[in-house]
Amino acid sequence: MTEDRVHAIGYQRIAAPGRRASAIWPIARTLVTLALKRRATKLALILCLGVVVGHGIWLTVQLLSVRFAAELGMRAGAFRLQDAVGNVQEVLASYLQIQFYFTTPAIAVVAGGAIADDRRAGAFELYFSRPLTRLSYGLGKIVGTAAVPLTTLFLATLILWLAAVGIAPPHIRADLWSLALPALVGAGLATAVLTAGMVGMSALARRSTGVAVAFVALLLLGSAVAEGLAESHQLWGGYLSPERDLRTLFDALLEPGASSFAGSILGGRARVNPSVAGSALALGLYIAAGLGALWVGIRREVTS
Amino acid sequence: MIDLAGVRKRFGATLALDGVTCRLDGRAIGLLGPNGAGKTTLMKVLLGLIRPDEGQVRVLGLDATREPRAVRMRLGYAAEGPGRMPGLSGLESVAYAAELCGLRRRQALLRAHDMLDLVGLDESRYRDVETYSTGMHQRVKVAMALVHDPDLVLLDEPTSGLDPQSRDALLDLVVHLRDGGGPAVLLSTHLLKDVERTCDACLIMQAGQVRFAGRLADLQLPQAATYDLRLARPCPPLAAALEASGAAVTLGRRPEVMEVRLPEGAPVEAIWRAIAATDAAVFHLEPRAASLEEAFLHAIGEAP
Repeated sequence: MTEDRVHAIGYQRIAAPGRRASAIWPIARTLVTLALKRRATKLALILCLGVVVGHGIWLTVQLLSVRFAAELGMRAGAFRLQDAVGNVQEVLASYLQIQFYFTTPAIAVVAGGAIADDRRAGAFELYFSRPLTRLSYGLGKIVGTAAVPLTTLFLATLILWLAAVGIAPPHIRADLWSLALPALVGAGLATAVLTAGMVGMSALARRSTGVAVAFVALLLLGSAVAEGLAESHQLWGGYLSPERDLRTLFDALLEPGASSFAGSILGGRARVNPSVAGSALALGLYIAAGLGALWVGIRREVTS
Repeated sequence: MIDLAGVRKRFGATLALDGVTCRLDGRAIGLLGPNGAGKTTLMKVLLGLIRPDEGQVRVLGLDATREPRAVRMRLGYAAEGPGRMPGLSGLESVAYAAELCGLRRRQALLRAHDMLDLVGLDESRYRDVETYSTGMHQRVKVAMALVHDPDLVLLDEPTSGLDPQSRDALLDLVVHLRDGGGPAVLLSTHLLKDVERTCDACLIMQAGQVRFAGRLADLQLPQAATYDLRLARPCPPLAAALEASGAAVTLGRRPEVMEVRLPEGAPVEAIWRAIAATDAAVFHLEPRAASLEEAFLHAIGEAP
């Protein structure tokens, strides 16, 4: 008998079961792992990375030029320079706004099938014949879906802010400390809107491709229509656009001021809704609608 | 192990379970019945996936309607349908199932390998499940049902669609579980031979009602008894004498061999009296054991 022969030893009971781990993380991890196997996911994430790098370069150039100008005592020149390259607030506001556009298709590719694919593959029975609650399942899907905007929006904003703090000359650095919270709140809101909308739509559908296309179309094209309404003096229309609502909050939180020359290359400061509270309320309603749809979708499939 | 009292479940106009009452114990229990008998519904009721309209369901001493999660923790379930996790390999699927039951990642992977060894899935465990044959799918489903070390595993039509070799292997596994200290098995099937080979108890259902519940050995034709009679030499008057006493006689290919079916409640002495009256020389007289098929058909009221 050779040494490398494998022997079946029969059924073995688990000796020490140990403390039970939560199922939320495995569900989230599996969702992301499956998405990362797809080429479209990698492409979408590379585009998001491009946005981070682009804004990182803008931020670096801006702060280094301000730093050099300050060190050389070119105060008047530095002011002109700032008009050209903008300030950190403007970079972060621009980053959140542009990255929202790029993250929308990325999250659609990653999580369009988060729940729809389970329905199509008949996997609900597989999940709920185990000691898994609807809440754990829903949270697992939310965490997995949120992984994309948490990375591209929240984490990347944090990295850009840290880079800004690291590079900035001392007289600007003091102002930057107070910028972290509003920037991260803005990123967190965008994350919540995208995640809730995505899981809500996936929970009600059966095909991941359909969900992804509908999500992108609704969020981006729907936003364009809402923008059009707002621009034609139907101000209420602006609140129908989650993107415009977010932009309103980004501007209110970060106070970027007038658009610089560099900022105008990237589209400049778009118009915002007149009421910040109205936009916050609209965003809250979007998030609630997404989570409600998720709950209804899961409840429809699982009776207990 | 399973204790059901007056369980009733209706889906619209269809009464899937009609006052199911039974008490089942055993290492391997066959759940028999024609299509639409309510077998799958009963399994889902046991799992707490379907709440019965009426009645009490106790599994392993737990109330399945009040403590479904605790019940599912102790049950394993291999559904009949194509339920699978698209995009995962066999190993990942089984490990994922373990994690959903609360096992930690490392333990889940080790256990998944053990279970895949047990069901005989070789290096193909690393392939995507969507490339698997039906037999491989069934093995993965059984491994997923066993991975968290349940006390009772419910297998819904596990041999359907399998080639004879795979079917043999799967039934061997059920026998191994029955005899090897693994979980008890509830095997739902319409293949009587599978039950005959693997089970020590059975539950026969038809139209949502229990027709028999108990040990396989007790499943006999309760009324008419059939005997194989072989004479030393042909004796034509014997058949006439037996028929005169109310028995049904079927002559074999050879004139000295016959099958005697006594009327309900008639004792074997009726045969002996006819033998004595005709002076026949008996070589062999033996009651014929009813096959499971006969007993099953009798139980569901379709006996010839």
